[in-house]
Amino acid sequence: MLETKNLRKTFGEVTAVDGISFNIDKGEIMGLIGQNGAGKTTTFRMILDLMTPDQGEVLWQGKPLTNRNFNQIGYLPEERGLYSKVSIENQILYFAQLRGKSKKEIKPLIDVWLKKFEVKGKKGDKVKTLSKGNQQKVQLITTLIHQPELIILDEPFSGLDPVNADLLEEGIKEAQKNGASIIFSSHNMNNVEELCDSLIMLKDGKQILEGSIKEIRESFGRTNLFLESPLTLEEIHQFPGVQSARINKDEITEVKLSHTEDGKAIFDAATRNGYITTFSQQPPTLEEIFKQMAGEKHE
Amino acid sequence: MNKFWIITKEVYKKNVKSFGFLIMVLSPLIVAGIAIAIAYFTSQEAENAEAPTIAVIAEDASIQEMLSQDGSPFDVQTDITTQEAAEAAMLDESLDGYLTVVENDGAIQANLSHTDSLTDYVPLLNEQLATYQTMLRANELGLSQEEVMSLSEPVEVEESIITIEEGKLTAEENNDTFVQEFGAYFVCIGIFIFIMTYASIIAEEVANEKGTRIMEVILSSATAGNHFFGKLAGVILVILTQIAIYVVVGAIGYLFAKDIAFIQDALNAIDIGDIIQQLLGYTIIFFITGVLMYVILAAFFGSLASKMEDVNKAVTPIIMIALAGFYVGLFAFISPENILPVVFSYIPLFTPFVMPFRIASETVGTVEIWISIIGTIAFTVVLTAVSLAFYRANVLIYSDSGIFGTMKRSYAVMKSNRKAKKLNNH
Repeated sequence: MLETKNLRKTFGEVTAVDGISFNIDKGEIMGLIGQNGAGKTTTFRMILDLMTPDQGEVLWQGKPLTNRNFNQIGYLPEERGLYSKVSIENQILYFAQLRGKSKKEIKPLIDVWLKKFEVKGKKGDKVKTLSKGNQQKVQLITTLIHQPELIILDEPFSGLDPVNADLLEEGIKEAQKNGASIIFSSHNMNNVEELCDSLIMLKDGKQILEGSIKEIRESFGRTNLFLESPLTLEEIHQFPGVQSARINKDEITEVKLSHTEDGKAIFDAATRNGYITTFSQQPPTLEEIFKQMAGEKHE
Repeated sequence: MNKFWIITKEVYKKNVKSFGFLIMVLSPLIVAGIAIAIAYFTSQEAENAEAPTIAVIAEDASIQEMLSQDGSPFDVQTDITTQEAAEAAMLDESLDGYLTVVENDGAIQANLSHTDSLTDYVPLLNEQLATYQTMLRANELGLSQEEVMSLSEPVEVEESIITIEEGKLTAEENNDTFVQEFGAYFVCIGIFIFIMTYASIIAEEVANEKGTRIMEVILSSATAGNHFFGKLAGVILVILTQIAIYVVVGAIGYLFAKDIAFIQDALNAIDIGDIIQQLLGYTIIFFITGVLMYVILAAFFGSLASKMEDVNKAVTPIIMIALAGFYVGLFAFISPENILPVVFSYIPLFTPFVMPFRIASETVGTVEIWISIIGTIAFTVVLTAVSLAFYRANVLIYSDSGIFGTMKRSYAVMKSNRKAKKLNNH
């Protein structure tokens, strides 16, 4: 299991990462979100020992993570790349060997994995003959085929169509089932909500959110109200705590409240004449939280 | 398998199997093959050339006999005995020339009238006539065959070149400076060609992995040291393979060709054993350190490039340095005692180009040679250490600010990593 304690990294005047701490258990998936330049890649690089933190430490199974642990790691960098002139098979074998596996162990697995990720192409094909999406899938295979216990994926979903994104989700879930600790960054909050047990949001190198998705969402209060009732938009606007209200394309009224409790008065008014079909008070979506947090100034 | 070897093997396999390697290995062989073929056909032609026909008009038939002996380069028309007949034969082009010989008190007076085709044979004819005259005189004086031989015996001159070393006169063991200069020339051109090809190869290797971000994956799989030295070892093995191919081809070629006459002539002019001895001496040390230094430097500069397209820009300074070394080397060939080659022969990056010429011209002592060798080795070690230290930081920096901008940022990252390591250890 991975533990980081108060990681900090500066480049000259710029503080790239400032006091990041988290835990990822065996079989846990953590999402790392944040705008571009928030410090996600630097955090990954410190975990991977590509960079030395100015402060803090990275522990793997209770001990500092060093090159002794390299064979247990699977890492997918943000920008993708493979040896374009090397065949799919040799490429996978090379990276697996660098992770301490023998050719004998990996060779029989290649066909299984190519099928699992529906890679179009034969294993003897050179990588440059594959489409971009297929190249990306081959790279995912090189990240996962050696059964790593710590998996770090930097923007794994970018550039994948929904079908391939599903395949990747399956792959990640399978690794989770095998007991891997997984951390990935993403700009797509749907993937994060779908996969993550816990979440960290970075802003300007600082950790501004952490916890399970449910905890984080609930901490913002149930301020999203979905309503189907006789109340008109004008009437709704009269209630205290209503920030905005609109009727969406499904004819459902969406109301943004300041606090969870502001819903009570609207509920009473809406049900004055008895039964209504919808009154649902939800916490904000991850995407809304992301936008809200990214916009706020944090000091 | 050790990760160092996995990387070495991969680099080696990828490069040796590439089409570029085949071209690189074959092109000098093809050039050499063409040169040998041209030399062969030229010599064949000379051998097959018809002997010129001459006529000898003399009172004494023995001159005619001597010139028409077996193995004589001339085809003597014995049936032509008068000037008129000879001139007629020349008119219908069946005769290349005629020799009129008159004996005057034991001295020979000869007159050769010939067409242009006989010009090359005039010295040969002179020589034969001179021999004939010697024999005539010897007969006159009543000298025996042995006495004639002893008169024309050549003087044996033994030569030894003396150098002044530590106040003593020392005779050089090997006084064949031609061989040494040939060796120096060979090293100079060899190092330059190998640097030109392999500097780009290793720089491309590194820049390609950096540009495609494969580097990040590799450096989270293996240490920067494993990767750096693995790459170096792989490329050095490719170089050795290329050299081995030339040695094998050369040896096979020698076995087949040593019986061919014109190659024998060429081999007589130079002593193969001497050349090999020369190559195995200082020359090989300069070759190895030279190529090593530049390959390491190229790996370092390659790690500064952000993407493949920048490789040429990154390698240019190295090629420039090598080119400067090459030209100073050629300058040292002409004037080895000039201050410029002398100074350059002690600057590590130039030593392999310049020092072999100074050694060949025997203008430098053993102590100085070893100072320069130790200098290049020490420099190589320091260069390796610095390159490796930068390497880990270099490969994470993608900058548009050119090589020096990247180096500056890389230095900052390296310093920050170092400082952090120190702090963490306390």
